[in-house]
Amino acid sequence: MSRYLGRRILTGILCIFVALCINFVIIHAAPGNPIRLLVGKDNPNPQMIAELTEKYGLDQPKIVQFGKYVGNLLKGDMGVSIYTNEPVSDMIIDRLAPTAMLALTAAVLAAIIGTALGIFCARRVGTKLDAIMGSVSYLFDSTPSFWLGLMLILIFASTLHVLPTSGMIDMRADNEGFAKVLDIMKHMILPVSALTLTLIPYYFRIARSSIIQVMGEDFITTLRATGMPEKRIFRKYIFRNAILPTITVFGIQMAYLVTGSAIVEIVFSWPGMGSFVMTAITRRDYPLLMGIYLVLSVSVAVMMIVVDVLYSALDPRISHESK
Amino acid sequence: MRLNKTLKIIKENTQLKVGCMMLVILFLAALLAPVIAPHNPNILSDDMVVAPNMKYWLGTDGLGRDILSMILYGARTSLVVGFTAAMIAGIIGTLLGGFAGYFGGRIDGVIGEMINIFMMMPTFFLILIVVALFGSGLFNVMVVIGLTTWVGNAKLMRAQAMSLRQRTFIKSAESIGESRMAILFKHIIPNGIFPIIANTTMGVAGAILTESSLAFLGLGDPNVISWGQIIQNGKSYLVDGWWMCVFAGLAIIFTVITFYLIGDGLNRVLSPKLRNLGKEVRG
Repeated sequence: MSRYLGRRILTGILCIFVALCINFVIIHAAPGNPIRLLVGKDNPNPQMIAELTEKYGLDQPKIVQFGKYVGNLLKGDMGVSIYTNEPVSDMIIDRLAPTAMLALTAAVLAAIIGTALGIFCARRVGTKLDAIMGSVSYLFDSTPSFWLGLMLILIFASTLHVLPTSGMIDMRADNEGFAKVLDIMKHMILPVSALTLTLIPYYFRIARSSIIQVMGEDFITTLRATGMPEKRIFRKYIFRNAILPTITVFGIQMAYLVTGSAIVEIVFSWPGMGSFVMTAITRRDYPLLMGIYLVLSVSVAVMMIVVDVLYSALDPRISHESK
Repeated sequence: MRLNKTLKIIKENTQLKVGCMMLVILFLAALLAPVIAPHNPNILSDDMVVAPNMKYWLGTDGLGRDILSMILYGARTSLVVGFTAAMIAGIIGTLLGGFAGYFGGRIDGVIGEMINIFMMMPTFFLILIVVALFGSGLFNVMVVIGLTTWVGNAKLMRAQAMSLRQRTFIKSAESIGESRMAILFKHIIPNGIFPIIANTTMGVAGAILTESSLAFLGLGDPNVISWGQIIQNGKSYLVDGWWMCVFAGLAIIFTVITFYLIGDGLNRVLSPKLRNLGKEVRG
């Protein structure tokens, strides 16, 4: 177990390093010069350009820049944004909470609803209802989340005027305390629905197929033969065995927590990482982009390892020593 | 006859049957777009933001372009991007997976680690950043999607090659002195390719979704008509011109379902064991 864990962590570190390299190469090989953007088009003062280039170290050899970048990262310094001059790490932390709030709510809701529907259909396998639910899951799986978001805005915000279209809080109301929490919740309904609806099909299909699979196993037949009540067989034996794949998917979903909801965030102007990336891209804010990509890579890598370890702890049948 | 056999398989599997019929419709729409499109999709007419009527079946956009014609031409973009990107991912995945699984040892160690690393990457963000910084030409979009989505194929092919290399016919080919390269390309890959074909079909759907997401974010090729772009432009007219977003989105859903159905159907037909694996989780 500990050997396996060590290997996974090594892979994780390697992955983060590769992400760092890709990050650096892409951003430095890209056409466009941030200094030009900063100085402006109207009066490109050569002295100012030279000074700024020196200040951000863009005149040094690439390898030196890379070394400096990694060195600073190890000290926990991600640099300052070229555009706003604020530390990148502070800017990212500000954006993480709203994203996590949105994505976590959606992931939990989707896991619960999807699994429940999957179990419901698995126990009615072959019926018309099961077939219909299967088709509906295909439909939602094929729906782009941004389009679903727009449709929700069209129906609930623009036509029915019951929910706000965008943002996280009502700027005009200036709510405090409980009223503010309610306000945020109201703003969350539409983006969370868009995310949840597109996530449900995964959980639905996985729960359904794994329950069907476990129900067909020999030991279930044996249990039935002993006369154990069907409810008990289900609760104690089928469910417990069949829920493992769902946990894995939930874990992977957790890993993509910060990245998965980006487009929906943009549709609803949610002040999270998604819209932040777009701003960083249009401003060609190199340090900020590198910081965002790094944070995302690290969070995905760490979560993947956590999921792997948790999973092997949960399911004793998986033995990594034999590999 | 082989064709008859194929047709029989398609007829017997509902998902494949429906999927193939939808695919034919899509191909016809894309191929015949210049013939069947009622208007030129690039002409800016004076009829701006017109609701669906007899002249413009699906209405017009903010610049007076006919939505139906744009959707028909958009099918070309989606199919080209989907197929090219999925093919790139399929070829890279098959080769890397085949090498790793068949040769084993150090090669497998290196490729296996590459697979693990790519599994952990937030690919959509990578695609987003590359396209945003290097330009959003259609070629760039296709290549970047292809280069970042091969992992699933490589894993499948690796597993296939690992199990195939234990089989007698491979052992006998080795014993009569066939070169390992020849065995890989003549026996291992042809015999293990089926799950990759099914997965690549799903990959077409994934690539089409990714392309439309990029176009929706304004990072699509500005010179071609694509469904995501129609939605991006229509977003500002959501209240006064719902038809722009609605129909282009339905076109995306139709196309993606087509490839999901075919991919799923192929999975069931080709390898009943894989039935529960389904499709890879989107990143």
